[in-house]
Amino acid sequence: MQTFFFIAFPYIALILAVGVGLYRYFSHRFTYSSVSSQLLENRHLFWGSVSWHYGITLILLAHVLPWLFPRAAAALLGDPTRLLVLELTGLALGFYCVFGIAVLIARRLPNDSRARAVTSPMDWILLLVLAFQVLSGVGIALFERWGSVWYLSTAVPWLWSLVRLNPDASTVTGLPVLIQSHLISGFVVILLFPFTRLVHVFAIPIEYLWRPYQVVVWNRNPRLPEAPTLAKDTTVSVPAPPEPTDLDRRRLLAKLGIFVGSVSAAIVGIPSIAFLLGLRKAPEVWRSLGAAGSFQIGQTVEVSFLDSSPLPWSGVTAKTAAWLRRESPEQFIAFAINCTHLGCPVRWLPNADLFMCPCHGGVFYKDGAVASGPPPKPLVTYPVRVRDGMVEILTSPLPITSI
Amino acid sequence: MRILKQIWRWFDDLTGFSQSLGPIMSHPVPQARRTRWFYVFGSATLIAFLVQVVTGIALSSAYVTGSGQAYDSLQFITSAPIGRIIRGIHYFGASAMIILIGLHTIRVYLMGAYKYPRQMNWLTGAGLLLFTLLMAFTGQLLRWDQMGFWTAVVAAEQAGRAPLIGNWLGHFLLAGNTVGGATLSRFFAAHVFFLPALMFLFIAVHLYLVIFNGISEPPKAGRPVDPRTYRRWYHSLLEREGIPFWPQAAWRDVFFGAIVVLAIFVLALVVGPPELGKPPDPTIISASPRPDWYFMWYFALLSLIPKWSERWVIILGPLVFGLFLILVPLLGGRGERSPLRRPWSILIIGFVIFVIAHYWLVGIRAPWSPRLEAAALPASVVGVDSGPIADGARVFFDKGCEYCHTVSGYGGIRGPDLSDAGDRMSTAQMATRIFSGAENMPSYRGNLKPEELASLLAFLASRHRVQLPKPPALQGLVRQ
Repeated sequence: MQTFFFIAFPYIALILAVGVGLYRYFSHRFTYSSVSSQLLENRHLFWGSVSWHYGITLILLAHVLPWLFPRAAAALLGDPTRLLVLELTGLALGFYCVFGIAVLIARRLPNDSRARAVTSPMDWILLLVLAFQVLSGVGIALFERWGSVWYLSTAVPWLWSLVRLNPDASTVTGLPVLIQSHLISGFVVILLFPFTRLVHVFAIPIEYLWRPYQVVVWNRNPRLPEAPTLAKDTTVSVPAPPEPTDLDRRRLLAKLGIFVGSVSAAIVGIPSIAFLLGLRKAPEVWRSLGAAGSFQIGQTVEVSFLDSSPLPWSGVTAKTAAWLRRESPEQFIAFAINCTHLGCPVRWLPNADLFMCPCHGGVFYKDGAVASGPPPKPLVTYPVRVRDGMVEILTSPLPITSI
Repeated sequence: MRILKQIWRWFDDLTGFSQSLGPIMSHPVPQARRTRWFYVFGSATLIAFLVQVVTGIALSSAYVTGSGQAYDSLQFITSAPIGRIIRGIHYFGASAMIILIGLHTIRVYLMGAYKYPRQMNWLTGAGLLLFTLLMAFTGQLLRWDQMGFWTAVVAAEQAGRAPLIGNWLGHFLLAGNTVGGATLSRFFAAHVFFLPALMFLFIAVHLYLVIFNGISEPPKAGRPVDPRTYRRWYHSLLEREGIPFWPQAAWRDVFFGAIVVLAIFVLALVVGPPELGKPPDPTIISASPRPDWYFMWYFALLSLIPKWSERWVIILGPLVFGLFLILVPLLGGRGERSPLRRPWSILIIGFVIFVIAHYWLVGIRAPWSPRLEAAALPASVVGVDSGPIADGARVFFDKGCEYCHTVSGYGGIRGPDLSDAGDRMSTAQMATRIFSGAENMPSYRGNLKPEELASLLAFLASRHRVQLPKPPALQGLVRQ
């Protein structure tokens, strides 16, 4: 699965992006445009488009530059203050982008919006993918901090391995799901390039920067909705529209209310959720199980030790149990007591040389291999070492069998 | 009395309750006639929920939410005056709520009461069903004895089967790498704050919808629901023959609810709460985790489905169930309501009840579980005191054969009964099976010394149908 997402999929995305992009350039050259809807709806577009484009340009630079110059980036980030400043700047830019894309989506949402009428399904997909991309990026900045540092040792080597046509996803396969989804959806964006208006990135009118400016003069107030001219010279009676400015203000107040409410909810909600999510990490430490000499060769015994982060109120649950087997004078092997089927505690039958699970009758041989029953995998082993004559075990997470 | 009346008038003058809530209480509802007693399960579920809220608050006032102390605090609660009864009421209240919400769901489904305009009634009810099951699950865990501890582990393992996020989700549930100090607090917060808050919210919407859309009239074959005309027709029905909800229809709810409360109370007094098991010590290996009765059938189902399908069933099973609940009102929102014209609904309900009842009964016996507490075969069963047959009987016990195989009423029932093995198999066949193992039997190749194998085969070959007198209290020993 991960091989597909981190090795096959990026290549598929890139090949399609380049191939279809070239095809589109040579066959439908005039579709290389942002398909602007500025003429249809201008007011929201200003806030959305400006926030989005300034924000995303800088964010993209912050992704591309460290990729091109990883060592320079590492040197730059070596100082905690600089790191903090850069992270906060990035986070602020991320929020800027979120705001921009939210406005860009919102202006297309209302049923009576003229922008909605010209929005194709592909546009919606693109908007949603981009929104997911910036939201997950902000999420990473919030919950998986110091991304600018670990980016250099995880995603950068992987991206370079893709460039060198020697793909190696080992640096990213262990990352949290949030980060992995950010990486994958990044390539989804690349994949979407030739199929959407995103192609306008390659048609930036850069010459705008140095050509003489021009002044656009509207010959009507763009803030007023079109007056129903029909009513004036026909007998059809149209109810008088409410004062436009009043209506505008009401709409604005309603939107403002929703926005302020959402921000308040986010201020309380995001830290609460982040707290809930953050309680799961614990370091792994070595715990002593006793002198190596106290274990007989060829015997499997139950050992118990404190888990890696016992809390004062953990009581008996701070303990963890394992089955320890001394294979040879120097060699120990420790099995998790949890059956790989559904986690029930397996029992060692010393006369039969078998582990047996009381829940569904899973049986394992003395080396942990599945002997019979429903377990899909052999018993999980914990790292063990002998140091200064003492057997030590590495406290590891509860083994959870996943597919 | 007069003073009370005056106080009420003053209060009502200030609050306007009799004007605002009075018409709601006495709003007209259709006459249910023959099916009128079927309409009491929803309100009875609500009453059971309120019982849970009251006793839950009482319990939480003495419960200690610490992985190290919860077990002791529960023992304290149980030993305190009336504490045992409160725990009993909370336990049987939970059981009653599960049964009643099940009956209510079945009633609504069979009568087609989820059709237009009551689809949202059904969907909020489906949410409440889900929350009730989650409450049952987390509640069993909060008992925090050995079963509660292993329930947390099994929950994490099942969550671990989810694709991509499984591992993360499992450890999220445990609030850490292992079951520890933070785990119980997480489930406590879910059971006491998060889920009840959601339930209050959903109950409020559910009740509002009952008032807004009106209680469904009993279905009649040949009278389909047409969304274009239904509301008008329903209101004319109410005008023609509606009766006030309070007290003409609601007295049955009150009466049935009182019976439910009484039954819960009597059961709590007579049977009492489930006994606390061993303390939640992960190093006590001799544990046989079992769910409470309401999930026993699911436990059995997961044990008996083919091995290859398990990873799909663990994740897709609940999803398909949830999807079914969501799609029922969305796809079947119109048309015939009567179960007589919807034979599939009767078949589906019959199938579900059959599956749950069957697996529940199987789950109590748990034939797939080895009997690790089985004792060695007595000489009366073996028949001799010494020699190869007696040695073989010892090997039969030592090597764990007896945990899965019954001989003359002793031992487990996971594998075939070997009481008459000598009649059915040659020693060569037995040796082949012992050596090669099977899907559910380990291979003993390299595990048996030649003389052990010889005596084991001698013992098995000596098992014939000619029964020795059975020891007394035999069934009780085996199937406890």
